[in-house]
Amino acid sequence: MQACVRSPKKISGKIVGASSDIGHLLRDKDFTKPTSIEDKEVVIIGGGISGLSAARELFRNNIHDFTILELEKEVGGNAAIGHNEISAYPWGAHYVPLPNNDLKEYLDFLEESGAITGYNPAGLPIYNEFYLCFDPQERLYINGKWQEGLVPHFGVPANDVLQIKTFLKLMDDYRQAKGTDEKDAFSIPINNSSKDEQFTILDSITMQQWMQEQKLTSTYLQWFVNYSTRDDFGTTCDKISAWTGIHYFAARKGKGANAEHHDTLTWPAGNGWLVQQLKQSFTPQIQNNCLAVSVEEQDQHVLVTYLDVPTNQIKAYRTKQCLMAVPQFIAARMLHDTPRAEKVKANLHYTPWAVANLKLKAPEERSGLALCWDNVMYESKSLGYVNATHQLLDQKVPVRNYTWYLPLTDNDPVSERKLAQKKTHEDWVKLIINDLKIVHPDIEAVVENIDVQVWGHAMAQPLPGIAHGNVRHELAASINNRIHFAHTDLAGISIFEEAFYQGLNAAKTILQNLI
Amino acid sequence: MQPQWLLLVAVFVIATCGLIYELVAGTLASYLLGDSITQFSTIIGVYLFSMGIGSFLSKYFNTGLLRWFIKIELLVGLVGGFSAAVLFLVFPLAATFRVVLYGFVSITGILVGLEIPLLMRILKDRVEFKDLVSRVFTFDYIGALLASLLFPLLLVPHLGLIRTSLFFGMMNIAVGWYLAHYFKAEIRNSKALKISSIVILLAEVVAFAFAEKIMTYSETLTYNDNVVYAVSSPYQRIVVTRNRREMRLFLNGNLQFSSADEYRYHEALVHPAMAGVINPQKVLVLGGGDGLAVREVLKYPSVQTVTLVDLDRTMTELFKNQEVLKSINQGSFSNPKVTVINGDAFSWLKANQQLFDVVIVDFPDPSNFSIGKLYSTAFYNLLSKSLAPQGVAVIQSTSPFVAPKSFWCIDETIHSAGLHTMPFHNYVPSFGEWGYILAMHKTDYALGALPAGLKYFNPKTFEQMLDFPQDMRAHQTLAINKLNNQALVTYFEEEWNNYLGQ
Repeated sequence: MQACVRSPKKISGKIVGASSDIGHLLRDKDFTKPTSIEDKEVVIIGGGISGLSAARELFRNNIHDFTILELEKEVGGNAAIGHNEISAYPWGAHYVPLPNNDLKEYLDFLEESGAITGYNPAGLPIYNEFYLCFDPQERLYINGKWQEGLVPHFGVPANDVLQIKTFLKLMDDYRQAKGTDEKDAFSIPINNSSKDEQFTILDSITMQQWMQEQKLTSTYLQWFVNYSTRDDFGTTCDKISAWTGIHYFAARKGKGANAEHHDTLTWPAGNGWLVQQLKQSFTPQIQNNCLAVSVEEQDQHVLVTYLDVPTNQIKAYRTKQCLMAVPQFIAARMLHDTPRAEKVKANLHYTPWAVANLKLKAPEERSGLALCWDNVMYESKSLGYVNATHQLLDQKVPVRNYTWYLPLTDNDPVSERKLAQKKTHEDWVKLIINDLKIVHPDIEAVVENIDVQVWGHAMAQPLPGIAHGNVRHELAASINNRIHFAHTDLAGISIFEEAFYQGLNAAKTILQNLI
Repeated sequence: MQPQWLLLVAVFVIATCGLIYELVAGTLASYLLGDSITQFSTIIGVYLFSMGIGSFLSKYFNTGLLRWFIKIELLVGLVGGFSAAVLFLVFPLAATFRVVLYGFVSITGILVGLEIPLLMRILKDRVEFKDLVSRVFTFDYIGALLASLLFPLLLVPHLGLIRTSLFFGMMNIAVGWYLAHYFKAEIRNSKALKISSIVILLAEVVAFAFAEKIMTYSETLTYNDNVVYAVSSPYQRIVVTRNRREMRLFLNGNLQFSSADEYRYHEALVHPAMAGVINPQKVLVLGGGDGLAVREVLKYPSVQTVTLVDLDRTMTELFKNQEVLKSINQGSFSNPKVTVINGDAFSWLKANQQLFDVVIVDFPDPSNFSIGKLYSTAFYNLLSKSLAPQGVAVIQSTSPFVAPKSFWCIDETIHSAGLHTMPFHNYVPSFGEWGYILAMHKTDYALGALPAGLKYFNPKTFEQMLDFPQDMRAHQTLAINKLNNQALVTYFEEEWNNYLGQ
């Protein structure tokens, strides 16, 4: 009989980003003086959601003399996208929850974009049916079966079910709670939340500690909460602030004419769709493949020096108002600001993530619910995968794009980052195949291509003290009314709404200064 | 070879084969009945229990133990070997299937359970007891590992289930024959045993060669007719059967029409809509890839263009070119007024800019989330935009008798798109009571002149169709079917499962 060893099929694909080679030049290289200096009214560094939101606000208010310096080939930041002949697919942020009804500017933006088609007589937004996540939305592989929804219930003992129910009721109570200052206990943006001590004290302990205090010890519940905090914030529940952990659930209170607070808006391109909507009026102002290397004050101006990567030339802008819409650890380098760098190093820890896109034919399925938009496995370390082709109208989609997510949270960010950098494409493929084999035994045979994106510093962890401490406000303070900051680092959590308002508020400040 | 080692090898073979038959039964049951967890669990339980019965019964065997051992080997080879083939053939007789399945598992289990006690007694005077116990059980259990590895990795992918069980049946027989040959001095009438083993072996070799035909024949039994045409398109399995009275089309095993009574379905589907519009010129048909609705549409001389959008090219080509099928739809796809587009109806409708006088929506029933999208508010909103102000659309809405909640849910969903509806139903012998819903912008619907030559539909019949008795009503408020909350699929699954008694 022949030996039973089958040589593994070589799966094509590569590690496509992020552009750490170029980005790290900021850390490693000394740059020469610029060969040319141009004048600009406003310079925005960073084309993520914060930067784009600020640009949109400036443009709407007739400031057109600005530029956006973006490191990558395309703007979008964590909402980057890829595409192949099947569909577009997300490399990062892939959905927004139903918006809270008090976020007027955000709702206006969604209406402009066609995601809201109108309002009903009661004043509730009518969401575009093609952008609300289609049924069936989520499934969880647990105890040998795909159950509907991500809250564990199949094969879960009665005591755990009770604890989960208790937990969700607590979250609902917090959802409704208001402080003595009339503000919601948990609001978006975070800065709009009540400052009452009874709530802010939750920012001094971890979520796990809080759950232990509440006698919520069920392993199924722990898994569910840990999954949630890793999914949105890249932080495990034994590290994340209890206030922020609760915020994940309690700050979601949107209501639509045709949708509830647990509904989501999503597109094949994930939040890349929102990026397209943000940038459509000012595309000429965007400069891709530019690494800003230094920001310094010069007399009454700000000099922004940058490397134009394709031509390898150092150029500069002299501007009145500079918006740094980049993570703080990068801002510190650009400013050559050592105290800032130290403060960031001490307080902001950035989780690395690995995200993969699998192009595959329909795999074999285990029993239970059929393929959903979000597919999660209970035993797994990963966050499962999202089907990018879920929102397509077609009956049959013979080849699909699955985006698979893994926040690297086993150890501290620095060690995980080092390990991730060393991994080859084959290493990642092996990890991914082994993860998905449990639910799709024939995955190796049906997958055609796997591309991988490693995010070295995807988002800052909302540890205790971030939400209600002083660090954020200290770092966010503008410098001499000329250099401003906008980024989710400074908002406390890395979500679309926060970035949108960071950019919006910074733009408003800049507009005031330009008068 | 020493006699005891030969017997131990026989144990090894029986154990391997025994586990294989158990795995075949479990796999077959999961494949045919679904729910693999329950199937495997109960089959393993029944098998082991039956082994216990076999071991219990061993005390009633007193003489000719070696001969009995060989007979058991042959019986296992016979019963186990043919088990998969028989189960496939029996499956269409739904009620008795489970009885036959557990019958096979029990008999095989009892036979296998007999062997260890018998063998121990056969060898008790030839081998020291402690060695005997050790060797017998070792050979018995090791066989199991071999079986469990071979089965999924080699046998099922390369041989399939019927051939796998026949193969091991043949191995059992071969071992039985060899034992009868080797021990002919010790047993009575070994020749009879050898002859019976050859007969069974030959039967199994023949069955092995014809395994494919058995599968096809069982497919025929499922359909109760002669299969005249069968093809798998990228989207579905298309089977056409015929008997003396009729021809029938099945898609993925679901009956689509019988040529004997399809006119009742298609006249009801098409004429209330077509005759509800004065001089209908532009007609759209979504689904209906068999060309039968188009046949009815073409009976109106005012029609200038008929656009048909169906996903399955194999199907529309079949109904355009195949002689017999063309005769049923009277060559409707070859009519110059007709354009057939093979594509997704939802995507096509979204891109569509034209207005149609009549739209006929003939989709499969909403049995899963994918098809359910075609019955959503979003779809009906698009339909509304494609319908002329005086136009009429009709939607096939499943059975209001079997699934009233589903039927009226579709009605509510169409309402939410701002259209007026006129639901109606009729009796189609092949399907039972079937429902349709007219949808339109206008409020002054009137049934106009009908073409000559209709077999069934007329104004009097239509009046009766509009009336719904109590047992075709939902009697509760129903949710609207939306893309982000597909209530319809839930109702549909629930009502059809109740009806089919599952």
